[in-house]
Amino acid sequence: MHRLAIPLVSHLPSRKPAPIRRRPQDARRHASSTAATYSSTPPSPSLSPLPPASAYVHLPFCRKRCHYCDFPIVALGSAAPPRGQGADDPRIVDYVRLLLREVAATRPVSDDGVPLETVFFGGGTPSLVPPRLVAAVLDALRGRFGLSACPEVSIEMDPGTFDAARLAELVGVGVNRVSLGVQAFQEDLLRACGRAHGVKEVHEALGILTSCEGLQNWSMDLISSLPNQTQEMWEESLRCTVDARPTHVSVYDLQIEQGTKFGQMYTPGVFPLPSDTESASFYKIASKHLSEAGYNHYEISSYCKPGYECKHNLTYWQNRPFYAFGLGSASYINGVRYSRPKRMKEYAEWVQELEDGRWIHKCRSSDMKDLAMDVVMLSLRTARGLDLQSFSKSFGKSLTLSLCNVFKPFVESGLVIAMDSKRRALPHIDFELDLQNEGDFGSRVAFIRLSDPEGFLLSNELISLAFGIISP
Amino acid sequence: MAGAAALRRSARRISRHLAAASSFSRSALQQPERLLSSQASPEHGVRGAVSGSELALYPPERVRNFSIIAHVDHGKSTLADRLLELTGTIQKGHGQPQYLDKLQVERERGITVKAQTATMFYRHTTASQDSDAPRYLLNLIDTPGHVDFSYEVSRSLAACQGALLVVDAAQGVQAQTIANFYLAFESNLSIIPVINKIDQPTADPDNVKEQLKRLFDIDPSEALLTSAKTGKGLEQVLPAVIDRIPSPPGKCDSPVRMLLLDSYYDEYKGVICHVAVVDGALRKGDKIASAATGRAYEVLDVGIMHPELTPTGVLYTGQVGYVISGMRSTKEARIGDTLHQAKSTVEPLPGFKPAKHMVFSGLYPADGSDFEALSHAIEKLTCNDASVSVTKETSNALGMGFRCGFLGLLHMDVFHQRLEQEYGAQVISTIPTVPYIFEYGDGSKIQVENPAALASNPGKRVAACWEPTVIATIIIPSEYVGPVIMLCSERRGEQLEYTFIDAQRALLKYRLPLKEIIVDFYNELKGITSGYATFDYEDSEYQQSDLVKLDILLNGQPVDAMATIVHNQKAQRVGKELVEKLKKFIERQMFEITIQAAIGSKIIARETLSAMRKNVLAKCYGGDITRKKKLLEKQKEGKKRMKRVGSVDIPQEAFHELLKVSNSK
Repeated sequence: MHRLAIPLVSHLPSRKPAPIRRRPQDARRHASSTAATYSSTPPSPSLSPLPPASAYVHLPFCRKRCHYCDFPIVALGSAAPPRGQGADDPRIVDYVRLLLREVAATRPVSDDGVPLETVFFGGGTPSLVPPRLVAAVLDALRGRFGLSACPEVSIEMDPGTFDAARLAELVGVGVNRVSLGVQAFQEDLLRACGRAHGVKEVHEALGILTSCEGLQNWSMDLISSLPNQTQEMWEESLRCTVDARPTHVSVYDLQIEQGTKFGQMYTPGVFPLPSDTESASFYKIASKHLSEAGYNHYEISSYCKPGYECKHNLTYWQNRPFYAFGLGSASYINGVRYSRPKRMKEYAEWVQELEDGRWIHKCRSSDMKDLAMDVVMLSLRTARGLDLQSFSKSFGKSLTLSLCNVFKPFVESGLVIAMDSKRRALPHIDFELDLQNEGDFGSRVAFIRLSDPEGFLLSNELISLAFGIISP
Repeated sequence: MAGAAALRRSARRISRHLAAASSFSRSALQQPERLLSSQASPEHGVRGAVSGSELALYPPERVRNFSIIAHVDHGKSTLADRLLELTGTIQKGHGQPQYLDKLQVERERGITVKAQTATMFYRHTTASQDSDAPRYLLNLIDTPGHVDFSYEVSRSLAACQGALLVVDAAQGVQAQTIANFYLAFESNLSIIPVINKIDQPTADPDNVKEQLKRLFDIDPSEALLTSAKTGKGLEQVLPAVIDRIPSPPGKCDSPVRMLLLDSYYDEYKGVICHVAVVDGALRKGDKIASAATGRAYEVLDVGIMHPELTPTGVLYTGQVGYVISGMRSTKEARIGDTLHQAKSTVEPLPGFKPAKHMVFSGLYPADGSDFEALSHAIEKLTCNDASVSVTKETSNALGMGFRCGFLGLLHMDVFHQRLEQEYGAQVISTIPTVPYIFEYGDGSKIQVENPAALASNPGKRVAACWEPTVIATIIIPSEYVGPVIMLCSERRGEQLEYTFIDAQRALLKYRLPLKEIIVDFYNELKGITSGYATFDYEDSEYQQSDLVKLDILLNGQPVDAMATIVHNQKAQRVGKELVEKLKKFIERQMFEITIQAAIGSKIIARETLSAMRKNVLAKCYGGDITRKKKLLEKQKEGKKRMKRVGSVDIPQEAFHELLKVSNSK
């Protein structure tokens, strides 16, 4: 599952959905976001809850579970994927019914109806869901919350689960961004991961995507540090990726999770998994190759051609609110994060409670510390980094100073980069001078970010250092 | 020098204090049950409650004060249990085994660390078969067995006129048997050899008799053969106590004079002292004074341990019991002190010595913020163990903590264990050290209890250094002599004696630097002898040695808590080991770390820990950031538990692990 984005220059879907309940403020909002480029006018992490303008929809069905996967999915079994409009799998139909009930039972945060700017169908393997059912969900969202004129509507697809007709159908109902789960270009690696497709299906899928008229914006997922993966294989995968010319690439680093097949088979850092050094080297190679091919490394695991950041994912990284629907999905509404039940039966019961008005959110809403940690954690994952002025405004100057102080040795060693308001890197001495001059701090330094690739590679360390400052 | 002896002393004393303390609250609960219990039959002469007038029936000639001494696991505690049962003092099958070992640490380790006394009433029926048989008051004074507490033992023995020397019928004489025998012998005690565990298939009492004859010149016909487990032979024990041990020699008509055997602190009653009344009688309301401190007290309560606190209002000449006198801290109740009638001048009883601290270690809270909690725990524990010296100290790596002086190794161990078990304190302790003496070219001399306090570059010549030594006794099956000699010479030992105590067993005596045995000597000895070696030691004098301070530096910054003092010839090897160990336990960080060992400004060992390559979660996590955040928060907590020197984070385990190096090989 992955959440990828739409280009900021929107592409009209072939069958343009009529925006419903479009109001003047919607227009303003839409105008500003289409005009925006991510780096020039970033929305600041907000403390006052805005109404969500994004929705995530979880479509959990897969043919089988990949060996590294610990997401809430429903494995349908190895039966041939439904490529045509034949009989729909009743499990899918039932689930979509449940989803529609959840959408209907969810009250929009604002009566003014800020329309959705982004919708993301993640999974699972959403491409296993018949397009008319995807359309039904999209219609329901439009009816409930409104859709902006040019929303980013993404869907995750796996090779071997769709043909040209099915893709065209999806595009026809409003999908305008596809995220293709390739993961690797080597038959052995795909098999070892337990993927339900081979290299042949990958090339077929790439052919279908690139020849689809209505689809200009698509992304490809790769996973590095797979068992027995060599540097040559990794370079080959990157080459094939660049050759396919996606607008966006997500490069994930294999995480060995407890309870997965890989969790039983492997120990991180131990053969056949690459050592930490090799795995760090894979990360650096990806950063180098993709940058050279014209992709911006705009987030720890995300690359895009200029202007093609995933708008939906930016919602997360900018700590803006979003709706979520479906099994195990996580929403962030009115400052409250909520993860839905990960088991189908419990999820169904939960939807019932929601409809009956019996569901009371039990999670405490986050306090200022939590919020500050979220902002730091999310923004330091991005190339834009942490906007110090905005952070200072929300959380105070002294916290901002302490944060900068804890990063001081790493600004010097180059893991952290200080930047001025025009996003030009500053020498560490300028950063230190600015820090010494407390009263006037911020006169030069406006942003701090983690360096690419070294700082990104140690992001957990650096962010947890910041956590230690925010919540000692 | 009394170094080694003091070491031992301290350990014993400590643990004892501890034991007594915890026993008290239990005793309060048990007492009513005991009062009602049917076992306190008239046959035993006394019911649970004992009045002062009953005690008056036991003049010195009807009193016997004795202790049981033995090597660990030779059956001392079980024998004590059986004697308590036999006299109806405790009920058979009631109460826990090892009745007198109250502390968790004592039960776990099978050791006695605090002295206990128990008064028993016994009708000596073998002397006269009828009911007019004379009744005796028997005081069992249970002493720690470990060398650390030998001073306490010697004080307890000073209150006795005899001792049961218990020897395992299969294992025969062991190192502590020898040490204990000589302690008893030097105190002029009548010794009753008891060859115990004769029910074992491998028991060889005749061989043990021969050993006793050869080593101690004990007549084989004197030995009693028993099995505390099956009860065989036990009936001979108390008659032998009465027949062979003299009664206490005190003067009944003199002003009261008594020996303070031990003390413990009770939250409700204050300090409770175990005493042996040497001369005169002690009554509730009497005014008494301490010969050591000069302070005067009023006797608020007095009684016997039967086996729990049993008030009698009086103790007569030769009797042993407890006194509560409003002392506020056990620091006022010094073991070996003489308590006497106030406002009269008396000759103090011989043998009092203040505690001597031979092993020092820094104690720090494992989690930096817990200083107050640790401080509180140490304060409470030292209420019961006045023999630990405590001073505040500060370390650049560990923050605020305490430098503690102990009587010996076991004392230190027991103290740590009690801090954790009884007070829930989590501590980091620094490498234990001994008190060294450094003399400089300018004639100045310092005693070093904390290596960090010794200047690495003093700017003046070191003229001489001295370190404390011990005389160690090791008994081993003869096939292990070779490896043990090797071990002792690696530890800079000087052989003093090498004899055979029987056809299979050798006795080695070595002079060893105390520092060489405080960390892992005993474990290694056990290891190379398949567990057969027994080991004991006593203090000996200081010896001149070529000593140097070894500093550990992380990225050039000295870590004070890791400094040690080592013999010059071992410095290289120890330095290398420490540095290697640290490399293993310090985790990679975001920068390279150099780990060095240095003598003065000379680097003698060095390792480099390269920078961490990668710690990133580049996984698809969608909008669900909670798991990722939890992971980062966990990582943050992990950092918080680390100790930091300069910019280097040191895990607590690194400090624990260093304790295991410092001396070996």
